[in-house]
Amino acid sequence: MGNSISLAGYTFVVEETKEISGEDLGLLQEKLLQLNWGVQHPASGPMRLKVWVDGDEVVKVDPDIGYVLRLLEKLVEYRTWQNAIVNVERACFIDNFGTMTGYSIAAEKIADVELPKKADYVRTILCEGGRIVSHLIGLGSFVGVMGVHTPMQWALIAREKFLDAFEVYSGQRIATASIVPGGVRFEPTGKFIEKMVSAVDFLEKEFIPRYAEVFIDNPTLKIRSQGIGVVPKEKAIELGLAGPALRASGVASDVRKDYPYAAYGELDFKVVTKEEGDAYARYLVIWEELIESAKIIRQAIEGLPEGEWRTKFPIKVPAGEAYVNVEWARGCFGFHLVSDGGTGPYRLKMRAPSFANLWAMPEMMKNVKLADVPVIFASLYMCHGDIDR
Amino acid sequence: MEAWIKAIFFPGFLFLLVVFLGIFYMERKILADVHLRTGPYYVGKWGILQTTADVFKLLQKEFIIQRRANKLLFSLIPFVAFLMVAALIAFIPFSEHSYIVSTSFDLLVVLALVTGMPPVFFYAGWASKSKYSFIGGLRVVNQMISGEIPLWLSALAAAVFYGTLNHLQIVHESSWLGFFILLPAFLIFVTATLIVTDRPPFDIPEAEQEIVYGFLTEFGGFNYAILVLSKLIELFALYSVAVVLFLGGFKGPVLPGIVWFFIKIFGLYLFTFVVRASTPRIRMDQLLRFCWKVLTPLALLNLAFIILVKMFIS
Repeated sequence: MGNSISLAGYTFVVEETKEISGEDLGLLQEKLLQLNWGVQHPASGPMRLKVWVDGDEVVKVDPDIGYVLRLLEKLVEYRTWQNAIVNVERACFIDNFGTMTGYSIAAEKIADVELPKKADYVRTILCEGGRIVSHLIGLGSFVGVMGVHTPMQWALIAREKFLDAFEVYSGQRIATASIVPGGVRFEPTGKFIEKMVSAVDFLEKEFIPRYAEVFIDNPTLKIRSQGIGVVPKEKAIELGLAGPALRASGVASDVRKDYPYAAYGELDFKVVTKEEGDAYARYLVIWEELIESAKIIRQAIEGLPEGEWRTKFPIKVPAGEAYVNVEWARGCFGFHLVSDGGTGPYRLKMRAPSFANLWAMPEMMKNVKLADVPVIFASLYMCHGDIDR
Repeated sequence: MEAWIKAIFFPGFLFLLVVFLGIFYMERKILADVHLRTGPYYVGKWGILQTTADVFKLLQKEFIIQRRANKLLFSLIPFVAFLMVAALIAFIPFSEHSYIVSTSFDLLVVLALVTGMPPVFFYAGWASKSKYSFIGGLRVVNQMISGEIPLWLSALAAAVFYGTLNHLQIVHESSWLGFFILLPAFLIFVTATLIVTDRPPFDIPEAEQEIVYGFLTEFGGFNYAILVLSKLIELFALYSVAVVLFLGGFKGPVLPGIVWFFIKIFGLYLFTFVVRASTPRIRMDQLLRFCWKVLTPLALLNLAFIILVKMFIS
């Protein structure tokens, strides 16, 4: 065995693999069974959970990520300050406004650009629109993992109205590329405002009453999700949970309230918190935030000031760095942006809330039933694009 | 009519195929209505042929058997399952004269065949030699055994009340009084039917988000179609039994008997579809607790109640 690797002094331990023949039972011989819950699984998305089960009890869970790694942070370095938004927004396509806002605020901090007030308000409207779109999908997929597809269908109908509004605004429905350093890219026309108002009307008058009647306080949903994946307040802080999952444990942490950006400082809204810290509480937090977001959009549209929606952003930005947190749909999204005085970012590091939630998940999944795995997974409200970036 | 003609045409095989296409179509349309979408629309008039197209698509598919699978069992199970449930239909009187056989042990045979299903589905999971299929097979046995006891007890309540196991005779003796006295038994029977046939919210053995598709995971093409069809026939047969035992079978004013039979069946199916659209799936331990601590004691109490009523009536 004279190959170069063993000559260099490395040794390999090859695990003995046993082929299970067609004759013996095979599966019953080992007490622990490793299930590969994912990559090709109806509920996993592009990631893998290695789930070790003992009968119906989950012993250990080990997430295996990296299937949608797109090197977004690296790609930003090859873009100009304006163009970089197309990489930033693709952290997660479901709510793209939050990430673009965070990046733009960071860039503006370094360049020391003062924003017109209207841009802040339009950003707020778009961010809350993105949050609603994302929360709708979150609600649908949470109930969806328990075998009911009705909420997802209802949510998609309500989501369509918001996507229509985004289309009127930017020409795109999903990846809108509409918030740039120095303001917003397009003029908020009357038609856009009209569409947004009609979308919020539909949400408040049609979707919310209909949904609340069936899927809030649903007894079967409660027995499935109450007391599952409980995270107490101290544990949630210790694990570093983010977003709705953190607020469901009773921590009133919301960047919009704590460190207001865009127009949030001038608007009136409340931070939704729950004390229970279980899967059902996380679901309810998403639900109530949806209602709050609709109110924020109404306020922002009413208070929309006149004036410019975009200022000049320099092509070359002076050297410096900035760290900005924004409250994205899935939690606190951090941007560490560094400039070396060039025409584009020197380095961007994104701190993703879904990633934080993902690594808290194995703690929650100890000694639960196999059937609870998808429920806890969905209740943490993660986005795969955001985990891998 | 000759019995074999009946078995092939009218209350038999071809008739049932048409009925199942209809039920599938209704399920899709009703679910779509709850979901606020259109449902099948393009294939045939009002999308009526959508299910037919789907079945033909399945027939064209490649016959895949996993390398490690037990080939004989794996290919045999779908047909065994189909045969077992198809035999159930022979005992259902759809109207005064449209039934294939009528014996004095109708109900007993039907219940015995239904009780024979868990091993078949377990072997379907076991023969696949896949982890998810195997867990699905175990779950199916767990669930069906706990569901079958209330099923038996509530069906026997009706048998005790009417004093016979013959379906036709039960239908002839049924009355409004019988309906009200057997109402608890009917509710238990329908719940147990949902459990035994893995319909939502008790579709634990096929829980897509947990164990992919349970014991059906490795099946594809024609085998899959036959297995799914046999599960559907099982549900249909048990609902037919429910109609016969508790809802007066083909009895009804004005319209012919068979129409009444299907109106009643349709009512039960409507209930199933609406439950499916609005109730999340429960967990295995919750189901077992429900079956053994709630449903079975209730069924036992109900049987005692029926015996008491029977004592006073006769």
